[in-house]
Amino acid sequence: MGKKKITAEIIGSFENGDYDQIKIQVQNGLDQGLAPEELLSDGLITGIRVVGEQFRRGESFLPDMIMASDAFQEGMEILEPVMMQAGTERESTGTIVIGSVKGDIHALGKNIVVNILQIEGFNVIDVGIDVPASMFIDEAEKNKADIIALSALMTTTMPQQREVIEHLEARGSRKQYYVMIGGGPTDKTWADKIEADAYGETAVDAVSLALAYMEESKGGDG
Amino acid sequence: MITFQDVVYRALTGPITSGKDYDLKLLVSTSRRLAKEYEITYDPDNPVPNDDDLADRIWKAGVELFVDVGAYCPDTERRITFTSEEINHALALPSGKIKFGSGVDRRTFPRRLPEDTTPPWCSLGAGGCAVSSEFHMMSLIRAYARNPLCWSITTPSLTHVDGLKIVAGSPLEIEGAIRNITLVREALRQAGRPGLPVVNGVASAAHAASHIAGLGFGIEQTDAMEIGAHHEMRVDFDSLNKVAYTLIKGTQIWAENGVILGGMAGGPATTAIVTAAYNLLDMLVLRGSVQHPFPIHFNLRTTTTRDTLWVRSVANQAITRNSWLPVANLGYVGAGPMTKMALYETAAWVIVSVVSGGSIEAEGIAKNAHVDHTSPIEPYFASEVAHAVAGLGRKAANKIVKSLLSKYEDNLADAPIGSPLQECMDLESGEINANFLELYRDVRQEMTDEFGIEFKYPSLYI
Repeated sequence: MGKKKITAEIIGSFENGDYDQIKIQVQNGLDQGLAPEELLSDGLITGIRVVGEQFRRGESFLPDMIMASDAFQEGMEILEPVMMQAGTERESTGTIVIGSVKGDIHALGKNIVVNILQIEGFNVIDVGIDVPASMFIDEAEKNKADIIALSALMTTTMPQQREVIEHLEARGSRKQYYVMIGGGPTDKTWADKIEADAYGETAVDAVSLALAYMEESKGGDG
Repeated sequence: MITFQDVVYRALTGPITSGKDYDLKLLVSTSRRLAKEYEITYDPDNPVPNDDDLADRIWKAGVELFVDVGAYCPDTERRITFTSEEINHALALPSGKIKFGSGVDRRTFPRRLPEDTTPPWCSLGAGGCAVSSEFHMMSLIRAYARNPLCWSITTPSLTHVDGLKIVAGSPLEIEGAIRNITLVREALRQAGRPGLPVVNGVASAAHAASHIAGLGFGIEQTDAMEIGAHHEMRVDFDSLNKVAYTLIKGTQIWAENGVILGGMAGGPATTAIVTAAYNLLDMLVLRGSVQHPFPIHFNLRTTTTRDTLWVRSVANQAITRNSWLPVANLGYVGAGPMTKMALYETAAWVIVSVVSGGSIEAEGIAKNAHVDHTSPIEPYFASEVAHAVAGLGRKAANKIVKSLLSKYEDNLADAPIGSPLQECMDLESGEINANFLELYRDVRQEMTDEFGIEFKYPSLYI
């Protein structure tokens, strides 16, 4: 089977939601002698971006994103040992700690952001829902994060976004992290008021902002 | 019907399932399978389908989904399941007359069918929109209560008590809940309608503790409490605790479900099935007297997109044709107060709801995302439209809704935020801004001239 055909099959499986096939196709590609970097970039990454585009156009939905992301991870579990052996591991876009702030148990918007971030190659530390301020910072320190992203879906949990920023200031580590906020009742005015670095109105906005920041912090221009 | 105690027992002893398996292996895969089996497909050309068979297929798929997957309790990581026999038994029970309010404002909540001429229940207000002061809140409540078509109040939500910002889970949330209902009661007294029922009297309260506080201080048996599941079909202990105390208090429940189109419920067809399944969850688990659905777009955060309107219509038709648990639909429009777009969006979701068998709760404006971005005019207009279109056929409604969509749908992604309340009305006198009145009168006239909508009652504002 041709190299292009195998990567096209992987992309097709993402496109059609045949996620169970992907790990088999990745293994098949390796067995056929394809380079793992090629399977990753031309197969898995291209394929998962197709799902991301479908999502942006409203043609696929959150479950597809999660299943595509799981299939991507399964493919990576096959490729990573081979790539590590060859010293060609995938470079992470950046590390981000994300969660819903203390008192807020809404997860859906945050989960959408998590999945798109993973598609874009971020190392995502999802700390979940109802997360105390100190836990965001502990996880950011532990994982040497670049970004902390804070979701709040209620007017009564918005103050907890400020709380995280105040805790960062109290620890003297505010400048180490790019702090992004989002969620239904939040807006740019609130972000400015609490001195967050960015506000993402939608999941797609949030990821674009994170990508732009990483691009800028690495000094690249694309 | 099985008891609430049975439900709690099942939450504690039901089949163990991880949250991810519940979502992906049960909810998603079953709803997708059922959409195929029952041939349920989204038709963007017809936001208000005139197809009883489609409605009944969605209902059957919803029942099958609920039997197959049940509700999910994240605290125990167990499913709360029901047999077909238990569901059929519950559905066969007489509906009874559900009444809310007291004195001259005591009314029976109607069970309506698609194209029903029965006047819809109009719960009017801010749908929980945050307001910056107690003064804003009381001015708004008095304005809502001026409207004789207002049969219950959906309150705004306080952001502060005594200058302190309300923080979820703190004692301020408890005080906020009590302050909320206390102020609403006083404003209703001032407006001369003390018996008007309040359906979300603790709007700023997220947790059971503050719901219970509100029930202990201000909420009456003649009001209602809004209690919801989490996305999707997840009912945690906190929600069950709210139900437990509300039942003990003898207050009725509006069980709310804003199923997210694009979220775990997937696309329009599966979102309609999940919304239908919620009718059973609301009846059996949340013990609702009214189902309070508002299928909402995951990204645009409104209920007025073409696909969410289709879901609203077919799910309403499915539910109201087959279940005694009546529907009161909530709406969230993208545009803000004092814009024509907000009124067009309002007309669209109200028409879809009413001709498809629902009553209404109007409404969240500017996605309910901006403090003080609410006004009494949009809910007033909603109630006028709701009464005007009771009895309208689905085919005629479909044509009107398509025309309305053509007026706003391209602007939903960048909907205008509109004006804050203090610019829409004089908060002391209640007088509405003259420009706003002109805009309202223009759109109201447009409804008659362009769509033949005949309003049943003279307007308070003309």
